[in-house]
Amino acid sequence: MRFFQTLLRIDRRIIYLVVAGLVMLPLVRPLGLGVTSGPRAQVLFDVIDSLPSGKTVLISVDFDPASMPELYPMMAAVMRHAFARDLKVLICGLWVTGPGLADRALSEIPPEYGKEYGKDVVYLGWKAGVDAVILGMGENIKSVFPVDYQGHPLESLPMMNEVAKLRDIPIAVIFSAGDPGYRDWIRYGQTRYGLRVSAGITAVSAADAYPYLQTGQLTGLLAGMKGGAEYEILVQKSGYSNAYMPAVAAMDSQSLAHVVIMLLVIVGNVAYFATRKRGA
Amino acid sequence: MKRNIPLVVCLVMGVSMMVQFFVPHPVSVAYYELTTRWFRIVAAFALVLGTGSLIMYHSDKIQRKRQGWFYSVVTILAFVATAVIGLGWGIKRGTILQDVIFSNILVPLNASMFAILAFYMASAAYRAFRARTKEASLLLIAAFVVMLGMVPLGANLPFRLPALVLLTVGVAVGIYLAVRNQNWRGVLVLGLLWVLLGLAVRFLFAPRFGAVAEQVLSYPNMAAKRAIVLGVALGAVATSLKVILGIERGWLGGGKS
Repeated sequence: MRFFQTLLRIDRRIIYLVVAGLVMLPLVRPLGLGVTSGPRAQVLFDVIDSLPSGKTVLISVDFDPASMPELYPMMAAVMRHAFARDLKVLICGLWVTGPGLADRALSEIPPEYGKEYGKDVVYLGWKAGVDAVILGMGENIKSVFPVDYQGHPLESLPMMNEVAKLRDIPIAVIFSAGDPGYRDWIRYGQTRYGLRVSAGITAVSAADAYPYLQTGQLTGLLAGMKGGAEYEILVQKSGYSNAYMPAVAAMDSQSLAHVVIMLLVIVGNVAYFATRKRGA
Repeated sequence: MKRNIPLVVCLVMGVSMMVQFFVPHPVSVAYYELTTRWFRIVAAFALVLGTGSLIMYHSDKIQRKRQGWFYSVVTILAFVATAVIGLGWGIKRGTILQDVIFSNILVPLNASMFAILAFYMASAAYRAFRARTKEASLLLIAAFVVMLGMVPLGANLPFRLPALVLLTVGVAVGIYLAVRNQNWRGVLVLGLLWVLLGLAVRFLFAPRFGAVAEQVLSYPNMAAKRAIVLGVALGAVATSLKVILGIERGWLGGGKS
């Protein structure tokens, strides 16, 4: 009885310490739990893999640094895949905190594949007015973004001569941590202009995306760190990249964090029912 | 007059945009392009309004020395400093805004705030996630299956053993209730059902936790989510119609007409 009551009153700092220890352990000593690719990541991979070289993939950076550990690795993996397949990448964002993250990816990934800014990749930056931006891009990208993030007129960038509006883009991959995000791209970009949309989202919002997957409005889905790890595995197995895989490395920690939370819930319930029964 | 003009503008624009969607005529398309340009300009004004509102709210809080006024000072200072640095030195790579404010202040602060959620969640789950009712128990089981199925450690674990345990417990409770009510036919049916389901789980299906989690997300979760999405969408249509027709006038704000 006293044991269970003590369990129920356990100091929250002990829980924090246990969680911190178990999350950090695999970062120091990886457990090597294998990640296998799921069907949702495979769909997106196959679509990008089947695009003829020279086509453009639109990437929308709709997240902030808070979601960076989950979404940045999958965005990097998709960009690596696109560049390895000799596709062009057009980047924009609906979140005001996104430009710095996109800029970081731009400084890291295109140079790995010898890609040239303006010819193989263009970054449009951020603009206020979510639906107005998407609808405007559907009509004419240059009317919404007359200049890119660095201030170059779009007319001076060779890649933008081939991409005038959303209909010229075979697929958009939206990395989204909430609203605005992939739902806005479906609502305005897909419904009005037939844009094919795929998404990389945080694990906590994965359940919301299933209706869109079932209707075919989403082409593939990368959900949470696991989705990112799956895509990293696919890209590396296909020989497109040998880069470090941060999402795969973090999956061990996430596995242990899930297990420890489940164990805590079980222990909490056992203690609760034991004390309740005795109390009653 | 002050209220009637906005109402008329709202009615005309609302109805014309609805009609425009279904008319592919070049005039209709040109009208659409024009209005999307207006839309972007109006959206930019919303940003100005938001900024003004932020400054007014926090200035008022500082003036009246309301609780937590010091945080308002920090907010306004951060806002002014970011704006001045961004406007004065630019926002591109290599600038103070990008390299110092964004990469070295905002990124670690924002990431830390989100990361500590894991600790709060663990503590909250330990204290509050109880199987007090049937619904809570169901939620708990679904949460366990999805949590385990979504990480490599659990995704490849066979679901067979826990499924058989759950099945046995469920049927045992059913049989106990049937015996208590002297429903011998019920006991027979439940016993038979248990044997059949047990055999099915044992031999026909050998799912992994990952596959079961996928089923939970793809069917019961999706059905519930779809109902919510449809409900919200229908509500949005109804509210939009009320706004367009001038029935709902909350957006006009207060004041004399």
